[in-house]
Amino acid sequence: MNPTEIAENASAPPLLIRGVSEPRLEVHKFRTGAVVGASFLALVLQAFVPAHVWKGDVLADLLELPLLVTLYFGLSRRNPSRGLLLGMVIGMAQDGLSGAPIGLFGIAKTLVGYLASTIGARLDVEHPVSRMVLAFAFFHLHHLVYVFTRRWLLAQVAPLMSVRVLVASLVAGLLAWPLFALLDKLRKDEN
Amino acid sequence: MFEIATRRRPYVLLAVALVFQILLLAVQVKRPGNVRLIRVWAVELLTPAERVGSWALDSLSGAWTGYIGLFRANRENQRLRAEVGELALENSKLESQAAEAQRLAALLQFRDTHPDAPLLAARVIGGDAGAARAFYLDRGERDGVQQNMGVITPQGVVGKVLEVYSNTSQVLLLTDKNGGAGALLANSRTQGAAKGTGGPTLELDYVSNEQDVAVGERVLTSGMDHIFPKDLPLGIITEARPGNPFKQIQVRPAARLDRLEEVLILLSRQQWDWAQPAADAAAANAGGRSAAPNVSGGTPPPAVAPKTSPSAQSAAHVNPVQPVKKDQP
Repeated sequence: MNPTEIAENASAPPLLIRGVSEPRLEVHKFRTGAVVGASFLALVLQAFVPAHVWKGDVLADLLELPLLVTLYFGLSRRNPSRGLLLGMVIGMAQDGLSGAPIGLFGIAKTLVGYLASTIGARLDVEHPVSRMVLAFAFFHLHHLVYVFTRRWLLAQVAPLMSVRVLVASLVAGLLAWPLFALLDKLRKDEN
Repeated sequence: MFEIATRRRPYVLLAVALVFQILLLAVQVKRPGNVRLIRVWAVELLTPAERVGSWALDSLSGAWTGYIGLFRANRENQRLRAEVGELALENSKLESQAAEAQRLAALLQFRDTHPDAPLLAARVIGGDAGAARAFYLDRGERDGVQQNMGVITPQGVVGKVLEVYSNTSQVLLLTDKNGGAGALLANSRTQGAAKGTGGPTLELDYVSNEQDVAVGERVLTSGMDHIFPKDLPLGIITEARPGNPFKQIQVRPAARLDRLEEVLILLSRQQWDWAQPAADAAAANAGGRSAAPNVSGGTPPPAVAPKTSPSAQSAAHVNPVQPVKKDQP
């Protein structure tokens, strides 16, 4: 099913016509407080689980829930401005909770939010496989920006690619399937 | 315009968000030396501009200063060139005065070594425009100068007074074709006659071929011409060869006739012990500047009053061409 068919077959009226030549894709709306609540919960879990549940565990570094939440809302809402602002807020909050300099995750998630919104407006992001691939790819993009920011601004050495990073990206991809499906429940009922 | 801004809003927003967070990071991050990154950036951002500004100001200031300096240097150069010219002129004057002082010192020394000689110092004031080898002195009839008086320098005989005017007199050089003096060879005491040739040398006549004459031998005045006292230096033999009927002898004048500036006029032909003091004077004159006494430059040559008795001086002035016997006052 291509994006045009999705738009044409949609029973709900919320369609955004972006131009004659552009494919018409759904712009999903969410329940009140869904974006804020989901983001807050992701931040809390990101700070709580590694510190208290997986204390000292190798899994502690593999979880990146704020990234997945940013990615999901960016892909779903398909608004670059909102996407980058949400990414910025979530990233800066993650910086604050993790003790890193404010802006380190913020920059990376700002770019992720912007690009996810831009891509979401052009591609079918509803399919589970595409969501997993996008989560995997965006994890590496996020890590790339994060490492370059650390190297450039903080003058810190950070590995660009490692087994741990690869595993974390796979985890992010696998986690995106159930998480995105769960977040789909927060969408407003269009009927 | 508004439409373009709206369409580009995500890009602007993205740029603002990224810049904001980068600056936020720069404020928090500290580089080695505990300097915040934002400060490092600010310095690195502003320093080139400040450097360019400073360079521009320095260049402008340097160019202006250089221009002013060049202008001043040019004026200073012109002033110094003028000063160098003036100093060179002054130096030339001083050298001339020093040379004159030396010559005057030699005259004074000569005069001191011949206290009994009635001598009158005179300055050469001009040459003769005609063919004759003659020149003019600044002494004339008012100074007691008369025709046929001898003219000498400490080095030797110069010539004789040809014409006398009230304040000047004309001197005929020994080397003129009409010039000459009674001569004798210093070694053999053989007498002859030195005659001018019109050139730089003299001819010594009336010396027989049998007479031994050596090149370099001194020739003195014989006193037989009733103009010059006996034994005044006349010259040096430069060439001597047999002739018919007499030897042909060339004599180079002892006095530098081409460099005369101050001379002494013999106011009397009285004889005195001339040879030894004259030789001493010549030696002293050759001794150089150190022998020069304190004689101020630029002043007219001193009139050397004869230290003879008034009667003798008067007699010598009245009839200078008359022969005067040796030891006659």
